[in-house]
Amino acid sequence: MAHCFIDNFQTIFMKKYKILEHTADIRIKIYGKTIKELFKNSAKALFDLIVQNKNEEDKEERKVSLEAMDLNELLINWLNELISIFYTYKFLPIKYDLDIDKNFKKLEASIKGIKFNPYKNKIDTEIKAATYCNLDIKKNKENFEVEIVFDV
Amino acid sequence: MVWQGPLEKVSDYKFRIPKSYKQGMRVDGIIYANEKLLSDIKKDNAPEQVANVAFLPGIVKYSLAMPDIHWGYGFSIGGVAATDPQNGGVISPGGVGYDINCGVRLLKTNLTLEEIKDKIENIVNKLYQNVPSGVGSTGQIRVSKNEEEKILIEGAKWAVSKGFGVKEDLEASEDYGAISGADPDCVSERAYIRGREQAGTLGSGNHFLEVQTIVEIFDAKIAEKLGLFIGQIMVMIHSGSRGLGYQICDDYIRVMVQALSKYGINLPDRQLACAPIDSPEAKRYIGAMRAAANYAWANRQVLMHLVRETFQEIFLKSWQSLGMDLIYDVAHNIAKFEKHIVDGKEKILCIHRKGATRAFGPGNSELPLKYRDLGQPVIIPGDMGRASYLLVGTKQSEEETFASTCHGAGRVSSRSAALKTIDVNELLKELKEKGIEVRATGKKTIVEEAPSVYKNVDDVVDVVHKAGLSKKVAKLKPLCVVKG
Repeated sequence: MAHCFIDNFQTIFMKKYKILEHTADIRIKIYGKTIKELFKNSAKALFDLIVQNKNEEDKEERKVSLEAMDLNELLINWLNELISIFYTYKFLPIKYDLDIDKNFKKLEASIKGIKFNPYKNKIDTEIKAATYCNLDIKKNKENFEVEIVFDV
Repeated sequence: MVWQGPLEKVSDYKFRIPKSYKQGMRVDGIIYANEKLLSDIKKDNAPEQVANVAFLPGIVKYSLAMPDIHWGYGFSIGGVAATDPQNGGVISPGGVGYDINCGVRLLKTNLTLEEIKDKIENIVNKLYQNVPSGVGSTGQIRVSKNEEEKILIEGAKWAVSKGFGVKEDLEASEDYGAISGADPDCVSERAYIRGREQAGTLGSGNHFLEVQTIVEIFDAKIAEKLGLFIGQIMVMIHSGSRGLGYQICDDYIRVMVQALSKYGINLPDRQLACAPIDSPEAKRYIGAMRAAANYAWANRQVLMHLVRETFQEIFLKSWQSLGMDLIYDVAHNIAKFEKHIVDGKEKILCIHRKGATRAFGPGNSELPLKYRDLGQPVIIPGDMGRASYLLVGTKQSEEETFASTCHGAGRVSSRSAALKTIDVNELLKELKEKGIEVRATGKKTIVEEAPSVYKNVDDVVDVVHKAGLSKKVAKLKPLCVVKG
C-alpha cells in the first residue's frame, strides 16, 4: 500500500527540469504547463545549480521589470537579471510571482527570497550567464519546453 | 550536433570552410588543426560558429580558429576575427567573452626541483591558505568606488603603486599592465559592486595557480636569453576579471542585441550581437571592456604578489633574491586595436581574440626592448595532469592570423560526463603518483577540470608550432596546483 501511495505522489509532481550534456558549460531542459511556469522553473533550475538551499524562508522581496523583443530574449534577460541580482545584492530568489504581457515583450515580477552572501557561503557552480545557444521555447502536446545553456 | 559541412585541406595544419557554405558569409573560415584534432573539433559543431563569425560586417580576410577550438558563446573558443573600423567594421562582446581579459602570467624563480621536491606539500598548502580562490571568493582588498575607478584606469599600475609588485613587472606584460582608453563611466553600478568584492581573487572553474618545473627546452638560445633552465621552478597564474567582467559583458550584450535592428545587421546567431565600432554603443562597450581588462591585470598583479610573499614566508628570503621575476602576462579574451598589413597597406583593425593569444613576432615595436629580438612570450596553460608551454610569437602569425595563436588545451568532455565517470579520489591518487599535489575548495571542480576532459595540449601546441604561428621554447610540468 505504501508503494502505491509513493508512486501516485511522484506522478503528481511533474518533472520541472533535466540536466543534459554539453562540452564546456551546463545544458538544461526546462518544462512548464504555462509560459509563466516555464519561467519560474527556469529560475528554480538555475538556482538549484548555483546553491543547495534548504531554507524556505523568504523574508526579502525584490521587484524586477524587464523588456525584450521576443519571448526567447525575455527568458534570457529574466535569468541573467536574476544572476546579476544574486551576485550584486546577495539575494537568493525562492518564490516568484510574475506577469508576462500578451505580446511576450514585458515581464514584471515580485520575487521573495533570502539574504545570501555568495562570497561567504558555499556555492556549487559559478554560473556566468544564460546563453542563446539552441534556445527555442516550444509547445508540445502537454507543456512548454526549452533548452538552456548556462555559461559556466 | 556534429559538423557535417566542408573542411577543405589547405595544408597539413590549415582547413578551410569556403564562404559558399552558408549564404551571408563574407569571408572563408580557416581552422588551424591537424587530422587527429579534427575529429574532436567536428563533434561539438564548433566549425558552425567559425562560419557564423564570417557574417560580421567589416570582417577582414578570414574567420579564424585555433587548434584548441570548441563551442563557445557566439564565437567559438579559439576564435579570432579582425574587423575594419573604416569599412563598417563591428565589435562583438561575444568575440571577447564573459571573462574579459581572462589571461595568464608566468614568473620564474632561481629555485630547482631538487631544492623544493620535499617542500611541495608545504608550498601548496601555504599558497592555498594565502591566495583567495573558489567559487564566489572574496579577496582581502577592500576599495571604495573612487579607488575602484582608479583600478579600472590604471590596471596593474594601480597594484604596483599600492606596493603589490614593482614597476619592472609592468614592462613584462601585454599593454604594460593597463590598456589606455578605459572609461569607468561606461561601467554599470552593478559591475562596480561585484568587482569590489572580488579584487585579488583567483576565481573558479578553469582558473588556477600552478607551481611548475621546466622539463624540456626546445630553443636553447631563447631559453638562455630568458634565463631558463631544465629543472627550474616556475609559477603560472590563470585568472580573469571575475564578476565585474561578467556583468559588463551581460550589460553590453543586451545593449547590442537591441542595436542590431538599428544598424540593420543580420546575423545567424543573436550571440554575435555587435555594433559598428564608431557607434555610441560600441564606444561605450570598448570603454567598459578596457576597464574590465585593467581590473584583470590588477588582479593578476595582486595574485602574483601574494605568491611572492608566500615563497618569502617559506624560503625566508626576499622574492627578489629568489629571482621571482615576471616573464610575461598575456590576455586571451580581449579585443584590441592593432596595426596590421592588409593587401600591402597598414591598417588599424579591431582584433577579437576569444580564447586566443596575441603572438607578435621579433621586431614588433609593441614589444618591450628586452623581447624585441626574441618575439613576444606566449604562455599556454595545459591541464593539471599534463603540461604547459612557453612559446614566442612569429612574423608568420602577424601575416596569417593577425598575430594570434592558441590559448590552452580546449575541452573535449562535458562537466556532467566528467562528474559521472571520474572518481575524485582516484584522480587525486593518480596525480599524486605523477608527483602532482592539488588543492581546491571543491572536489567537483577537480573532477570537472580533470586532464582527460581536455584535448592534449601537446597536440594543440604542436599544430601552432608546425603552422609557424608560434615557436616552442619550453615545456613545463605541474608540481602543485591550487584551483578554485
